[in-house]
Amino acid sequence: MDIHILIYGTVNSVIFALIAVGFTLVYGVSRLPNFAHGALYVLVGFLTWSFIHDLKMNYPVAIILSLIISAFLGAIIYRLVLIRLRGMATSEIIASFAVSLIILEGLRMQGIGGFKGFIGPFYILPPFIEGKMRILGVLIDFQRLIIIGGGLAVVSLLWLFTHHTRIGLSLRGIAQDERAALMLGIDSDRAAVIALSIGSALAGLAAVIILPLGNVTAEAGYRVLIYALAVCIIGGLGSWAGTVLASFVLGFAMIVSTALFGAVWESVVLVGAIILILILRPSGLLGKQKELEERV
Amino acid sequence: MGDEGLLQVRDISKSFGGVKAVKDVSLSLIKGEILGIIGPNGSGKTTLVNLITGFVKPDAGEVLFKDRKITGLQAHKIANLGITRTFQIMRPYHSLSAFKNLIVPLNSPRVRRTTGGRLGDRDAVAMDILEEIGFERDAYVPYKTASSLPLGYLKRLELARCIAMRPEIIICDEIFSGLSMAEIATMVPVLEKLEMEGITIMMIEHRLRELFRLVNRVIVMNFGEVLAEGIPREVMERQDVREAYLGTEVDSVRD
Repeated sequence: MDIHILIYGTVNSVIFALIAVGFTLVYGVSRLPNFAHGALYVLVGFLTWSFIHDLKMNYPVAIILSLIISAFLGAIIYRLVLIRLRGMATSEIIASFAVSLIILEGLRMQGIGGFKGFIGPFYILPPFIEGKMRILGVLIDFQRLIIIGGGLAVVSLLWLFTHHTRIGLSLRGIAQDERAALMLGIDSDRAAVIALSIGSALAGLAAVIILPLGNVTAEAGYRVLIYALAVCIIGGLGSWAGTVLASFVLGFAMIVSTALFGAVWESVVLVGAIILILILRPSGLLGKQKELEERV
Repeated sequence: MGDEGLLQVRDISKSFGGVKAVKDVSLSLIKGEILGIIGPNGSGKTTLVNLITGFVKPDAGEVLFKDRKITGLQAHKIANLGITRTFQIMRPYHSLSAFKNLIVPLNSPRVRRTTGGRLGDRDAVAMDILEEIGFERDAYVPYKTASSLPLGYLKRLELARCIAMRPEIIICDEIFSGLSMAEIATMVPVLEKLEMEGITIMMIEHRLRELFRLVNRVIVMNFGEVLAEGIPREVMERQDVREAYLGTEVDSVRD
């Protein structure tokens, strides 16, 4: 039982981290809350499914193509919409949520040009490798192991990227202090395009790794957005360590509550954790406090 | 380029919610000089810097750099043209070592353009800049993380990031504030060396005694306007300047 909780809690936690990491990257670098994050997640699932079934592509090619499209969409969302709203937080949220609605409700639309709409239980992505294995007596399928491996790979690659590459360092520069970074010649619009492209591709990557566990539905887009927001609220917006910490807090809290009280408690735990954090520490576990403004 | 100056500010104004932070200010920065900008708190000095460097858009007026209008350009473009500045509140990359903090400016479009991409080992260049500015390599100071550095080193790191941009103009926004006399004494030769290398410097400063050792010319601001301009000693003898300061800083110059 304990080993079971340990293993499945880890899987759950990594799922949260995979979902939230792209959202955190975009917010951390550009202070943009990308409410289209969940929609891009679902869109990549549907694109990959369509490429496999309608265009008869092979699985890896379909995935890579979907991720590239997702990255481009991220850049387009910034260049077309968000760039004109920079600094107006409420407008940024509404506009990116509008993009999310267009994508998700568009996927459900039926009857235009023979489009049937992605409704029904048969939109399923196959697991990368079929089969299960036993770890310390607990049965676990390969896809869940791939999730753990994929999550570790994503987090470590992002760390290497942000610490040891030229572009990564300039993204961190913008993230830590936009004005100082501007003074060092960094173009914040270019950084935002890069961040949104990577963040959107990460949403897609999370989708293709996680979606084989269930089926692809438009509703998942809203749930994924809520998960990403929950992780950010609990961990602290824009904090890397906070994102990982909050993912594990939520991942294990949900598994433990399910094991003790049953699956209905999952959403109660999610909402409860958010309420608790908002009362105790509204900036999140590792969130930044407001800093002093420079005087005029 | 005319004789008027490397950088010219013409009748620039900026209001924040009805309060005129900067009112019809004109000044010019002559190539190779160190110009001091002084004035009581809230007199519009930092706003002036923000207007020049593109962080704040003016309501009226313009800024010319080498006779080219730069008002309206984005801040990063102005920085890449060669005007760089320090900030009052320093936020270095806390988790990185001091010399790694210089990698971002050393990779800036400006540095890549001016060196034709032949800068070589950026770590080594960063080390050289830090060593010149007083980070003792023997004591491994450049390798220490920025978060563990005392204020005096952080201020110098802020200046080092500017130097790494290979700028033509450096605007220092109160780099002496919070420093001890000994720490300022280590920074003065650095600024003098920059002046000798032909870099033009504009210093916003409250530490007047230390400032006056460096500058040839000083501009006094009060309530967003230029109150006086000239040689430091003469300017500080003026009655209106003394009244603007209400005695406090002026006394510190006399003693």
